[in-house]
Amino acid sequence: MGSLEVVLSSIFDQMGVDYILPPPNSQRTIELGVKYGPEFACFPLKTTLGNFIEALEAGADTLIMVSGRGPCRFGYYAETQRRILEEAGYDFRMYMLEFEPERIPDLLRKLRELKQGRSFLSLARAIKFAFAKAVLVDRLEKKALAQRWMDREKGATTRALKECYRMIREADTYASLRKVEREAFQLLESVPKEAREPVRIGIVGEFYLVLEPYFNLQVEEQLGNLGAYVERSVYLTDWLRPTGNNPVGGHSDAESDEAARPFLTHFVGGEGIRSVGHTVLYQRMGFDGVVHVMPFTCMPETIAKSILPRVSKELGIPVLSIVIDEMTGRAGVATRLEAFVDLARHRRKAKMRGERPQPVPGLL
Amino acid sequence: MSAGKTAVLKIGIPGGLLYYRYGRLWRSFLEELGAQVVESGETTRSILSSGVSKAENESCLPVKVFYGHVLALKDKVDALFVPRVVSVKRKTHTCPKMLGLPDLARAACEDQVPIIAPTIDFQTGLWSNYQAVYSTGRIFTDSPTLMLRAGLKAWREYRRYQRSLKEGLFPRGRLELDPRRRLCSGNELRVAVIGHHYNVYDTFTTMSLLDRLRSMGVDVVTADMIPERLAREELSRLPKPLYWSYEEEIVGAILACSRHRLVDGIIFIISFPCGPDSIVRVICEQENRRLGGPPMMTMVIDEHTGESGFLTRIEAFLDMLRRSSAVREREKVPSLA
Ligand code: SF4
Ligand code: SF4
Repeated sequence: MGSLEVVLSSIFDQMGVDYILPPPNSQRTIELGVKYGPEFACFPLKTTLGNFIEALEAGADTLIMVSGRGPCRFGYYAETQRRILEEAGYDFRMYMLEFEPERIPDLLRKLRELKQGRSFLSLARAIKFAFAKAVLVDRLEKKALAQRWMDREKGATTRALKECYRMIREADTYASLRKVEREAFQLLESVPKEAREPVRIGIVGEFYLVLEPYFNLQVEEQLGNLGAYVERSVYLTDWLRPTGNNPVGGHSDAESDEAARPFLTHFVGGEGIRSVGHTVLYQRMGFDGVVHVMPFTCMPETIAKSILPRVSKELGIPVLSIVIDEMTGRAGVATRLEAFVDLARHRRKAKMRGERPQPVPGLL
Repeated sequence: MSAGKTAVLKIGIPGGLLYYRYGRLWRSFLEELGAQVVESGETTRSILSSGVSKAENESCLPVKVFYGHVLALKDKVDALFVPRVVSVKRKTHTCPKMLGLPDLARAACEDQVPIIAPTIDFQTGLWSNYQAVYSTGRIFTDSPTLMLRAGLKAWREYRRYQRSLKEGLFPRGRLELDPRRRLCSGNELRVAVIGHHYNVYDTFTTMSLLDRLRSMGVDVVTADMIPERLAREELSRLPKPLYWSYEEEIVGAILACSRHRLVDGIIFIISFPCGPDSIVRVICEQENRRLGGPPMMTMVIDEHTGESGFLTRIEAFLDMLRRSSAVREREKVPSLA
């Protein structure tokens, strides 16, 4: 169970609407997505397509997907997936929710159908409650990132975090959510820790991949287990309430854009500019390295990947780009992460000893 | 001419991506302002391979080619001209790569040359585009009149070029059209070659496809030659409007060919791994099947595409078309009687 499921299922639970959660992401999800998805479509398009197929197999007859208008591919996912699934012979209705101002009437019409007779007020309440959960999920994830490196027993923080997800999912009133909040933080606190020498790593990259541990090969966890204190640039709440404030991460889009300016001066869709901006911000905050995760063929992140070597060289912060698709091997990524954390640690120690920082070795 | 600000500046225009569309406009504009324009010429094997080795492996072929052109020019000029074309039509964008192109160019030449990068965005109205003209013009002159004159002249030049493409003149070289040769000359077999300008008109990456088709006695139709009205009709029929400026042209052209049987076959050229094309390909292939359109072949090209394999596929496709159109000829006769 990932963070997104916790939040979405909450809306339906609160509304009392019948829903089916697709089975957890698995190798089969990827295989289905790759089989039906268009060649060199981006990886998230394929995996969400796989999720839809698995949900339809499990008996769903209605699919809900957000949709939009560029400049990147995401805005056209839903329509593409609808076409593919219909041609493959599945029987379903797809609701594409569009949030642009001029599409509001259409959005309301769709929501009216979807809420199955419940009032708009209860829908609004359900969404507000789900958002409260999302904020909590994000804060707990942030905490987990910050403490995993101290685990006495590897995996303890991750287990505790999973337990927190479960507790949050079960909370159904604000009162119980407040209780869960206290308990969850206590639970994370209580994980046995051990004093260690940290190394600080930032994670940047494409939203969906950063958020979905199964698909990013658990980079966060791997980094934590390698002894890295981790922060990341994007959180679920950034997307659910796109004010650009980055309330959990703590760096507004404006700040990030400003930091990116010497290297990338224009919005390029997705998280492209933020990947660059946050790398600069992490450098300013004294981080020892940045890991950039991106789906293969992702346009905004390919741009970021082309520019990050310059950032790395000019600011002297090591950056590791990991490109992920259905072919990416876990072992290869693990080795590269390990080498990267070693390098970052080495540079950190040199810095502590007051030695002049060595130049960042070329492309990693 | 009014006095230039400095000595004659040498400005390089890298010959990739949108150069194939606006190259004439840019060149004419800069020359009118008093710059000396240096171009990188045809894509060559060495341009391609230097681009491939410099660009990120995940980039699409046209961006790699573009890198090659930037590298070919960077030591020969005082500045590079790489406009940031954000949108050329209301409610649409170009591709993210084009939004970031000046920054990519900067990364490609490692900041060794200044880059002139006016932002063109037709969503924000004329004023910001005037600013784009002005910000570029100011480098060369203080006179707004001269800038406007250069801008208008460039625009006319662009329109003329577009018109010739529409009329189906044969693209002889880069941005050069042969007034005596046409893409269609009443041959029996007529094939549409549809794709981004920088794919269809780059003779190197497409291995002179247009020329070869012509010499095989095949009439060629490009997206530019499809009546705009038909293409627009098709676009308005889509359940969800597209939002990429240039993909609209591609989809509109292909679907117009499908519905009205304007051609006997369609060759859809995509470069690997193009983001927008990976999506519109689904639309085009599905709709073409649904409309019972002509046979369509999607060719994906990248830097490894070998000439022989490419040609074999084209020839096999043409053979297939010839056979099926012969069948159609026979069917036609009784229906005429
Ligand atoms: S950001 Fe990347 S992965 Fe996401 S839709 Fe755009 S191209 Fe695809
Ligand atoms: S439209 Fe496709 S080919 Fe053109 S720059 Fe974008 S990704 Fe590359």
